[in-house]
Amino acid sequence: MIWLNNVTKTYPNGSRGVENLNLHIEKGDFVFIVGSSGSGKSTLIKLLLKELEPTTGDIIINRVKTNELSSNQIPYLRRNLGVVFQDFRLLPNKTVYENVAFAMRVIEAPNRIIRRNVPAVLALVGLGKKGRSYPNQLSGGEQQRTALARAIVNNPPILICDEPTGNLDPETAWGIMQLLDDINKRGTTIVMATHARDIVDDMQKRVVTLKQGNIVRDIKKGGYCDEA
Amino acid sequence: MRPSTIKYFLREGLSGLKKNLLMTMASIIAVMACISIMSFSYCVASNLQHILQQMEDSIGISVFLGGSPTSQEIEDMKTKISEIDHVLEVRYISPGDALEELKTDWGADEDIFEGLDETNNPLSHSFQITLDKIESQDTVLQALKGIDGIDNIRHGQTETELIMKANKVFKIAGFLVMLILGVISIMIIMNTIRISVVNRRVEINIMKYVGATDWFIRWPFIIEGVIIGVVGALLPLLLGIPIYAKIISSIYNYFPVIKIIQFRLVGDVFVVLFPVALAFGVLLGIIGSVTSIRKHLRV
Repeated sequence: MIWLNNVTKTYPNGSRGVENLNLHIEKGDFVFIVGSSGSGKSTLIKLLLKELEPTTGDIIINRVKTNELSSNQIPYLRRNLGVVFQDFRLLPNKTVYENVAFAMRVIEAPNRIIRRNVPAVLALVGLGKKGRSYPNQLSGGEQQRTALARAIVNNPPILICDEPTGNLDPETAWGIMQLLDDINKRGTTIVMATHARDIVDDMQKRVVTLKQGNIVRDIKKGGYCDEA
Repeated sequence: MRPSTIKYFLREGLSGLKKNLLMTMASIIAVMACISIMSFSYCVASNLQHILQQMEDSIGISVFLGGSPTSQEIEDMKTKISEIDHVLEVRYISPGDALEELKTDWGADEDIFEGLDETNNPLSHSFQITLDKIESQDTVLQALKGIDGIDNIRHGQTETELIMKANKVFKIAGFLVMLILGVISIMIIMNTIRISVVNRRVEINIMKYVGATDWFIRWPFIIEGVIIGVVGALLPLLLGIPIYAKIISSIYNYFPVIKIIQFRLVGDVFVVLFPVALAFGVLLGIIGSVTSIRKHLRV
């Protein structure tokens, strides 16, 4: 599903983002990317989203070499990638329903499908009754659930999460993690960058540890690595 | 494109304009100023052109011959004049014909005609020359001066020259003012769209992440520009129709003499002006928004 072959990203100011990264993520995987600040987590996420171009190496997502895509093909790549951020990034002037429907509308989904899928996804993330609320009327957890609903409403095969629990208290974070686990069990590949040791330890999923732009540990099933 | 998508673009474009009402108004006023000047100069210039055409039809050159030429001489003269470039038609008017024309124009009973008849006629033999277009008058006059036996030439040169000059000045001045206002409009529209883009940074960011195409992101901003252009053009045009009609009828009312010349009808003027000015307004809007998008919208 995702292949990184000898990927190096050097920033224009000379600093290394990631160096010689080789990573293979299979369909249906749930992968934690862990590491301290500056370890290259964000660079890796941005490379996957094609917000950044690798300096050298190839990135293959869904059998497509993304580093060779022209700019007008990027939107179609991104339709394969749901994305959730630490800061939710909801539109404050739209309701929960509209925020989720927005993701379908901008890829020109028919109204009929929007009306069918949005309530279903909202029910899935446990916001079935919050459709008419505005983001500022929601708790942090509910806001992140809305963001999650928006990320999966177009049914992308891959979900990329950048510190999705970073702004949430532990209990709420757990709710989100269970939801991610459910989504993963339905077949969606999940790549999640995080600092949250407890979560990683408890979930017992694949853990890739980055340090100074290199993969220092990659275990199939395990906990947070102290080296990071 | 789906109808729902088009509806979405329209709604987003309108909401962008509403959020940014002050700049929207400024842009519309700028376009209005530009289209007003454009319409005004078009109305004046096209009427001057119209009047010139009427003069072309009615005014020619009159050539009067000295003494009493023989009919052979008259025939030769007619051929010579006909051979001059730009001369369409040459009509011979005998002193008798001229007297008859005068009598019908002024009324045959007038005292001045007393004692004038076939044998006692002070009027000259003359030719009435019709030209292909009014601009050729000068060349034809030069050519006529080279022909012997012509006593006197009369023509409406000064009037036509005046109108021609006025028309030229009007066209150039109108075009320049329109150009300047057009550039100002584009700059104000650019700024309006820039603010709109900034207002929607977060939205654009999300759109990119969920895979909206670049054009999908751009369209609402182009629609904003188009709406500014359409409203800015429609207002002066819709107001312009009754204003034009009013001005023309006032001129006819206050200066009855002017009835000899005909102004262009409201329908004739606006059937051309309306679509052209509307298209121009839309063009201003599109140029403004597209340049702004290219500068400020990194998609």
